[in-house]
Amino acid sequence: MKIPTLTILLSSLFSADGIHVQDTAGQFFSSGHTNNWVVLVCTSRFWFNYRHVANTLSVYRSVKRLGIPDSHIVLMLADDMACSHRNPKPATVFSHKNMELNVYGDDVEVDYRGYEVTVENYLRVLTGRLPASTPRSKRLLSDDRSNILIYLTGHGGNGFLKFQDSEEISNVELADAFEQMWQKRRYNELLFIIDTCQGASMYERFYSPNIIAIASSQVGEDSLSHQPDSAIGVHLMDRFTFYLLGFLEDIHPASKTNMNDMFKVCPKSQCVSTVGHRTDLFLRDPGSVLITDFFGSVRKVEITMETINLTEPITLVEDNSNNGELQKASLSYVDQLPVSEIIHQKPKQKDWHPPDGFILGLWTLILLVFFKTYGMKHLKHIF
Amino acid sequence: MAAPLTLLLIVAVTVRAALFRSTLAHLIAERVEVVSPLTAWKRVVEGLALLDLGVSPYAGDVFHETPLIIYLFHFLVDYAEITFMVADGISAVALYYAVQDYNKQVFRKQKYALEAERYPADCHELVRSPAEMHYIPLKVAMFYLLNPFTVLSCVAKSTCGLNNAVVSLFVLATVKGNALLSAIFLALATYQSIYPLTLCAAALLYLMQRQFIPVNARRLSFWWFVAQYAFMYLGSLFVTVGLSFFLLGSWDFLPSVYGFILSVPDLTPNIGLFWYFFAEMFEHFRLFFLCVFQINVFIYTIPLSIKLKDHPVFLIFMQLAIISIFKSYPTVGDMALYMAFLPVWSHLTRFLRNVFLVSCVLLACSALFPVLWHLWIYAGSANSNFYYATTLLFNVSQILLVSDYFYAFLRREHHLTHGLYLKKKDGSEATLVLK
Repeated sequence: MKIPTLTILLSSLFSADGIHVQDTAGQFFSSGHTNNWVVLVCTSRFWFNYRHVANTLSVYRSVKRLGIPDSHIVLMLADDMACSHRNPKPATVFSHKNMELNVYGDDVEVDYRGYEVTVENYLRVLTGRLPASTPRSKRLLSDDRSNILIYLTGHGGNGFLKFQDSEEISNVELADAFEQMWQKRRYNELLFIIDTCQGASMYERFYSPNIIAIASSQVGEDSLSHQPDSAIGVHLMDRFTFYLLGFLEDIHPASKTNMNDMFKVCPKSQCVSTVGHRTDLFLRDPGSVLITDFFGSVRKVEITMETINLTEPITLVEDNSNNGELQKASLSYVDQLPVSEIIHQKPKQKDWHPPDGFILGLWTLILLVFFKTYGMKHLKHIF
Repeated sequence: MAAPLTLLLIVAVTVRAALFRSTLAHLIAERVEVVSPLTAWKRVVEGLALLDLGVSPYAGDVFHETPLIIYLFHFLVDYAEITFMVADGISAVALYYAVQDYNKQVFRKQKYALEAERYPADCHELVRSPAEMHYIPLKVAMFYLLNPFTVLSCVAKSTCGLNNAVVSLFVLATVKGNALLSAIFLALATYQSIYPLTLCAAALLYLMQRQFIPVNARRLSFWWFVAQYAFMYLGSLFVTVGLSFFLLGSWDFLPSVYGFILSVPDLTPNIGLFWYFFAEMFEHFRLFFLCVFQINVFIYTIPLSIKLKDHPVFLIFMQLAIISIFKSYPTVGDMALYMAFLPVWSHLTRFLRNVFLVSCVLLACSALFPVLWHLWIYAGSANSNFYYATTLLFNVSQILLVSDYFYAFLRREHHLTHGLYLKKKDGSEATLVLK
């Protein structure tokens, strides 16, 4: 009696374990994301906008530290602060005063630099509509299982963000770009962080699902900068990103901190502006979203000894392309340049002359006026 | 006075020839302040080339000058430089003789007035003497020929020089009292650019004054003269337009020339007021503002001719100034024409109030135009607002110049009737204000 119960117990244990692994395997393939991408954009140029570059580089540093490789980061910096001739400490970009933290580091890979950071390029990166010659490092090669972090910083206003001091991107354009991404299945979930003045206006118009948005200030408020450094001479960071960086420094790849903690970063006492966020488009509960879902590249690995039956057979996608001959339509250029006429150049075959009647009429009139003015007595000298 | 005039002509021709031979000629021919889409030499050459290829020169938005210019330059295109120098010479000589005749008229009228004792006793310092008026014609010719604006306009081979020549000949014919020639030259000037139409009123007033026809709307002789002049003017205008039709065989010069002047489709920046407004205007309001701006040129004729009906030559000066400020495509050549008249009013300098301001602003704006153009177009650090601000200042200073002379002229006339030292009723010194 004992052995059959034991075997039944053991078998039930095993079968239960098998079912459990099957379930996790099921969840493994149906939940969430499989890869992470990051798009970091600094839109301002000129030396006094040092802090925007420092903002972007500090987020870059954090995501790299948490495991996202450079191949999955699109970094766009509108100006080169580290090698600017006004930088008293060349090849460095500091985020804390007294030069505590150099966010430039040794292994920065900037993908779009200087004047390449334009609204057009940014939207092309997001929507993937780039010319065929664009290298991989400049492309956002995300798929429908990618979680994308998008970080924007610079000078903004109510409903727009200024690029390079010469053009703007509006919140409507940005919302439409995200909708294009959604329709092309270019993201699974999107975290949008913006650190500019009146940043909340930029996420007001989003209408695509699965987006969380965080902005450093509400409409009508300015985002303020943090501390200047007297040796560098400019403000080094903006407040929101400064405290965000401090928050991220405590995150490590295995931490379980969730989005609700991130929404509490930089309260009004520290940031002066009111940090806003928007989660109504997001399908999951923000409390269940880990920071590392966006900022880190955490691979889901489950070690199991069981064999798992993948129920859906893998079907080969058949190549539908026509293997027939390429249609060679004979092309010819319209004869635009009459080469033969130019080569055998005849000197002005049709030289325009005024009509004879015109010349006759004109000079008759002139003579009439002349004689009227100076009297008819001259006539007898001619005739 | 022939010798100084000849010397002046030689000097002027030398200056222009020197500039023609230098590399500056090409540079100046492209400046937007000196040439406009109507007057550019480049466009004339283009029109002639199109005609040689068998295409109408008015096809496309290239050529906007009249067919008679085509006829003129068909034969003279190789001697273009000499043509423009001759045109400047004609203008200067015509103005010389016109002003000489006018001065004689003025002096004669003054003599009659003095004999009739129409001037108050303390006005003797306002009375003009032949000695002071002797060199005025030469100064007028000099002001026209040696004006940097005229020289620039000639070196750029802008057809504005030809227009100025026709207007100067019109002034000469009017002052000499020849109604037929005056009507014919005015018709030619109007045929080339519509705005000299406003000079009709001044010509009528002068000719009537000279023929002792009273300027009274109730009199038949007034209307009879107006009818005669209108007949001559309109007749010559129609004849000229008809001749142009026969030259090219089509009417498409009408929209290209007059349609272009009136509807201002080309908004290349120039020293005028139209381009900036119309560049930023909504289509809905374009016609309205076009009418407003064009009426603005013509609206000053009637009030000014009522006020200045005894002084038609001053009216001509004011009309020329108003045309050159408010026309749709002004250039500095238009300015040069009315600036040539300034020595005629040199006796008014004691009443002018804004000489320093006007001259400083004109000089500064003339210097700023190329600078801000370069900054806007080439360096990219300025924008159209800077250039338009300079244009505005330039035109405001021109308006101030003209209104200042108007004030001075009227004030002198007032003093000549009411005495030089005016007193208010309580005996204190009075000031005259232009309202």
